[in-house]
Amino acid sequence: MKIGLEVHVALPTKSKLFCACSTDATEPNSSICPICMGFPGSKPMLNRAALDYASNVSRTLGCMPAQMVSFVRKVYFYPDLPKSYQITQLQEPVGVDGSVEISSKKVKIRRIQLEEDPAKIIRESGYTLMDFNRSGIPLLEIVTEPDIASEEELREFLGELRSILYYVGINIEKELKVDLNISLSKARVEVKNVTGIRNLVDAANYEIKRQTELTSKGKEVVQETRSYNEAEVRTESSREKESDEEYGFIFEPDLTSYKLPSSNAKVVLASKVAREYSRKYGAKEKTILELIQFDRESYALMDHAKDKAEMQKIIAVIELLKKYESTGIGNEKFEELLEIAKSGAQINAELIKKVKSGQRVETSSVNLQSIDKEITTMIKNHKELLKEYEKNPKAFNFIVGEVAAKLKANPRDVAIRLRAVLEKGFKD
Amino acid sequence: MPTTKPNPKFAEELSKLNKKLNFMSVINSSANGKSLFSVKDNLCVKGFESRAGSKILSGYIPPFNATAVQRMLDSGYEFVGKTVMDEFGFGSFGTNTDIVAKNPFDETRVAGGSSSGAAVATAVIKNHVAIAESTGGSISNPASFCGVVGFTPTYGTISRYGLIDYANSLDKVGVMGRRAADIRAAFDRIKGADNYDSTCSDSKISSTPTKKLMIIEQLMKGIDSKVLSSFDLLLSKMQGMGYKVEHASLDIIDKAIPAYYIISMAEASTNLAKYDGYKYGEQGKDFTKKYNDFFCDARSSFGIEAKRRIVLGTFVRSASVKDKYYIKALKFRTALTSKLSSILKDSFLISPTMPTVAPKIDEAAGLSLIKAYSMDSLTIPPNLSGLPHISFPCGYANGMPIGAQLISSHFNDYALLDFVESWEKSFKYEFKYNL
Repeated sequence: MKIGLEVHVALPTKSKLFCACSTDATEPNSSICPICMGFPGSKPMLNRAALDYASNVSRTLGCMPAQMVSFVRKVYFYPDLPKSYQITQLQEPVGVDGSVEISSKKVKIRRIQLEEDPAKIIRESGYTLMDFNRSGIPLLEIVTEPDIASEEELREFLGELRSILYYVGINIEKELKVDLNISLSKARVEVKNVTGIRNLVDAANYEIKRQTELTSKGKEVVQETRSYNEAEVRTESSREKESDEEYGFIFEPDLTSYKLPSSNAKVVLASKVAREYSRKYGAKEKTILELIQFDRESYALMDHAKDKAEMQKIIAVIELLKKYESTGIGNEKFEELLEIAKSGAQINAELIKKVKSGQRVETSSVNLQSIDKEITTMIKNHKELLKEYEKNPKAFNFIVGEVAAKLKANPRDVAIRLRAVLEKGFKD
Repeated sequence: MPTTKPNPKFAEELSKLNKKLNFMSVINSSANGKSLFSVKDNLCVKGFESRAGSKILSGYIPPFNATAVQRMLDSGYEFVGKTVMDEFGFGSFGTNTDIVAKNPFDETRVAGGSSSGAAVATAVIKNHVAIAESTGGSISNPASFCGVVGFTPTYGTISRYGLIDYANSLDKVGVMGRRAADIRAAFDRIKGADNYDSTCSDSKISSTPTKKLMIIEQLMKGIDSKVLSSFDLLLSKMQGMGYKVEHASLDIIDKAIPAYYIISMAEASTNLAKYDGYKYGEQGKDFTKKYNDFFCDARSSFGIEAKRRIVLGTFVRSASVKDKYYIKALKFRTALTSKLSSILKDSFLISPTMPTVAPKIDEAAGLSLIKAYSMDSLTIPPNLSGLPHISFPCGYANGMPIGAQLISSHFNDYALLDFVESWEKSFKYEFKYNL
């Protein structure tokens, strides 16, 4: 099976790709001007912020650095396209030949290009409305090679791509629009305009099933363009021939060539970071990835780790912060929280709130030494339990409970210390 | 800036003459004859109908001023009216539109094209400059036919923002006037970089003189004898003034016409794609139709020449022949520009502007397409290469003006204005009207 994607991502610039209109208007047709309406006499001016985003994505995906980027006119007639041509890229796109690494392989990225979004068509019964707010919103199109071979790979690729985009400052949760190319045998089927990740996976699964069934019945899969019906979770033939496309591309003569901006922004690949941290600190790769894949703050907080034990604490605190939905804590407050955690005190919603609001937190004098000391005493007094701890988790939990209660310490911390003490081999 | 006492009756007199010569589609009734400028109908003037000579843009009232227009207004010039033109600039005689301007020297003759109205306005109004536009010769041609000075600057020196596009990589806003000095004054006010046009820059305009006038042999074929004798007279006068006249051969220049038409039509066919009859200009009525049918209805308003260029332009950029036509023409443009630039390093190029004097209106209508397109043979090379050029009256034959065209290297625009200013010291231009 071969799956290739054309992913369209809206870039989070403040203004549109070729004019100064705002990108976040809600009232229909309230953010429009002669340029994004294609009025006679108007000309496009490139929004450099969009080029910056595009350049960062290109770098993060390891594309060959483009010397110059230029634009073309792609001509087709549809009411959502105010100029009847879309300004897009052809010969000199933002990037070519990149890749996204997933656990089983590298998914190659064929090209990345910058282009303008058409207007939005709202179909009502008996009439159609147009909203030009969307006309001219900057889109980044990311085209993969047909390297994805299963649903698992598709999911992993999408997670990885989303994470990469997240770290470049692009959140594609809502705005993801994908053309899906999928072939089990020879014929290539294109499912156009699938919106959102869930629909994409559903559409892929439907096609896999449909094409498998056809093949197993000895029928041929027709090479065609299909659309995705979200309500019925199925793809449908669009009755269009692919070969009919003729866009009559010409160079966009209203724009010049642009040097791709260089950037010093740090490239962050969350999965790579997770792998590295896992190797360095012994924490679970999956746990780390889950924490940082879409969370710049957690990633920054993990930078505090000096050793294995501290990383464990940091992970524990981050998990607690997430549990209590208490994000945006900042470095300084996090350090404070980390110190409290190290002292063995239990961290709960109330305590986080206190630290966040800058209130003084009285921590008990509990520290690791005192936990260890108490554990030693407990084990000495309960030698019979010690023999059974491997078979009997109740014994283990009993000691944790006792020590925690006595010291008013965090049971988790006690458990960690107790395990460490036992694994070292307790000597009388 | 040309100035004089205001004339309260000016607008009235202008309207009267306009009825006779058909050179303006819109007249600003508050204009009073003081430092005026007219605007070719393909440049947007806020609040005034701007339809680039096309029926399909009837009723389009731009919500903004073209940058050149805004800069003229900011400099204290007064807007006098919109000048007529061939539809979208598609023509050499001003006849491919609904209002056909007449030549002020002989009303049975054309004014030239496509900036027909701009040339007539310049020929009949005293204190006035015309903001016009040239793609393949649309300033030089009518300036020559109507006996005025027509200046087309280096591509990218005057902003195209607000210009209703013909072929963006060739379109240049320029100025017509009765004296080179008037043109210089306007040019200095409107040139320079613009936040709304990426292809316009602040490159320094130079004034490097040369005493060498170069004639390209291949361009001197098929020129009318009256035009030739007038041009020869100019050359001998120039030699008397210390200029050296030399000849060069440039074979490839014969391909300039096809290359120009391929590029300009390819771009034009994309520019005209937007006219779909529901956002501006002429409005479609039957919204129950399918989009393709609605679209086709709206586009029946294009004139025949516009339709021809849409069809040919769409063809030359289609996937199967694109390399053979569009890409090849682009490569030719680069080659030609490099050849011309090397000749222009130490000389001006000089030629008559047009091969004939202004033809009769019915003669022009009877010309074959090839003949009509070939009328631009002398003006196309500098336009294709984005080189600055100026047409100025150099003689008269049977009462009709004859123009000569001088070309210089990129951004040496002032040298052309200097040349014509010094020419004007020894040669007096003739005008039949002086509003």
